[in-house]
Amino acid sequence: MPTRLSDRGGVAAAYAAGGVLVIAVTVIMAWLVWQGISTISWDFLTTGPAPGSLEQGVAGGILPALVGTLIVIVFGMLVAIPLGLGVAIFLTEYRQPNWLAKGTDTAIDLIFGVPSVVFALFGLAIFSQGWLSWLSNPVGDAGMATAQSFFCASLMMALIGLPPVVRSSQAAILGVPNQQREASYSLGKGRLTTIRRIVVPGARPGIATGIVLGIGRIAGDTAIVWILLGGAVLQSPPDGWYLPWNLVDFLRSEGSTLTTYIYFSSPAGEGNSPGPAYGAAFVLMVVILFVNIALIRLSRRKIGKR
Amino acid sequence: MDPMETPSNDRADERAVRQEWRHSMDRTADLKAAGDPTDPTVPAVAAEPPAPTTAADVPAAPAAAPEAPAAATSSSGHPAHVADPRDLVLAIRGLRVSFSGNEILHGVDIDAPRGGVVALVGPSGCGKTTLLRSVNRLTELAPTASITGEVQLDGSNIYDRGTDLNLLRRRVGMVFQQPNPFPMTIFDNVAFAMREQAKTRPSRSSLMPAVQDVLQRAGLWDEVKDNLDRNALSLSGGQQQRLCIARTLAANPEVILMDEPCSALDPRSTARIEELIVQLAGSLTIVIVTHNLAQAKRIGDYAAYLLNGDVIEQGLAQQVFEDPTEQSTRDFVSGMFG
Repeated sequence: MPTRLSDRGGVAAAYAAGGVLVIAVTVIMAWLVWQGISTISWDFLTTGPAPGSLEQGVAGGILPALVGTLIVIVFGMLVAIPLGLGVAIFLTEYRQPNWLAKGTDTAIDLIFGVPSVVFALFGLAIFSQGWLSWLSNPVGDAGMATAQSFFCASLMMALIGLPPVVRSSQAAILGVPNQQREASYSLGKGRLTTIRRIVVPGARPGIATGIVLGIGRIAGDTAIVWILLGGAVLQSPPDGWYLPWNLVDFLRSEGSTLTTYIYFSSPAGEGNSPGPAYGAAFVLMVVILFVNIALIRLSRRKIGKR
Repeated sequence: MDPMETPSNDRADERAVRQEWRHSMDRTADLKAAGDPTDPTVPAVAAEPPAPTTAADVPAAPAAAPEAPAAATSSSGHPAHVADPRDLVLAIRGLRVSFSGNEILHGVDIDAPRGGVVALVGPSGCGKTTLLRSVNRLTELAPTASITGEVQLDGSNIYDRGTDLNLLRRRVGMVFQQPNPFPMTIFDNVAFAMREQAKTRPSRSSLMPAVQDVLQRAGLWDEVKDNLDRNALSLSGGQQQRLCIARTLAANPEVILMDEPCSALDPRSTARIEELIVQLAGSLTIVIVTHNLAQAKRIGDYAAYLLNGDVIEQGLAQQVFEDPTEQSTRDFVSGMFG
């Protein structure tokens, strides 16, 4: 029987748990900001790593890494969002045939649970096939592909970005009251119209949460980047890479993201220069935070005036 | 006390005629009438003077009904909105519904004459709602449901193969227990049924006349005409329910099913909805499930009493409530249980 004393103990434990978490996060953030902010400058954000910087630690900026992160996020989510939403709708609104629904459920759980380095390794085996060399670059005339490019990395990123999109959307779709569906059916609307006009709009905030979580997973992944994007940390993108006629070539080439840059420039990596590492970590955090806020705001529907 | 109590002679006439019709036919003749309205064996309605009615059983008559259908009388002496009480818009025959083998309705027969208000009453769990939801085929959304029997809408069985479900549900609209407007603007809620039928999305201005018309019929226009772009969820419960009725009217239905539409509303809003139901009857047929016996008496032209999945008694509302033939009905309407 809970006595008053044990009750108090429980409350104290709950307070403690919350307190420890808040303190831990605050310390980490403060440390990051304190260490990172001094490195941040306009140059740091808008230039590439300086040539010959390998010996002296990483000098120069993080532009290629920042661009790389944004590219894998955009291209990964371009695949993960429609696919994830489709899977979520299938799992909630249709669920037929049952074996396929159960199989899909298990698959999503597996993708969620298996470390990304495993998928990266599998990707290496697939994307190095000669007939997929259009995703990266052919290796001489060995009939193989390098398997390291923004395309290859983004495709694998789509896979790890998928589960949060599915699960969040699924929960949100289940949260749309059945009454709304029945009202729509009762007005002579079919299933597809009901899903398009009632269910998906009603689930928007949850879908946005899933997208944010997916972006977080992609932006934070390092294994896929090392294996499928290459370790070209010090390599700046070619001039005019963003021009439409250069873009495909650029996306078939190697690159880096903020996570690999952080690893590389940290004392654990080759660069041994914690300053830029903290700077890049700080930028990564800000990017994620910004995406979070922007998406959640966008997803909130304003209906009519007021 | 309030305008709801005002006796209306027109309604009384109409009631008498319907009662007349009920008395003049037995169940088999009734079935024949459903199949073939021109069947000469069906006795014609005798021209008898209206039975006397007391103020107490006169249904709610809208005080200021702009197009009060009951006011118009056709040359034959029938109220205009029930041209022929044998003209059944809806005839349910031997309807059995079970969920996972557990039978809820054990072969139910219900008649709904065109233009009337049919009140389904009975204790909780007697199958009223299931019956109602089987008329626009919402029941089968539950994967465990199994349905046999017929529901004839204008003479054709809606459970026949090849029935266009979306068309059926436009012809038979539904208003739910909880007001459930879509989380959209008031305008979009009403326009929902009108849009998407057209190949190109109709413009707002082209939809406006129809939206206004429907909101006027639902008695909501004056309250929302300046706020059509407000979130429908910002309306009060009673307004939301009238919006739901307007939304249903926008699909241009012949029958509206109402599942305890007032149970979540306060008395004032309830009175407004009841008023609206009486106004709408005539131009369309309303089948309403209600827990509220007084409400069933106020607005029902016809009534059916269900108990444990069987129709115990049905007929003119007045007869079912004032002079039931079955003991069980008598117990229920006198408030012994339920």
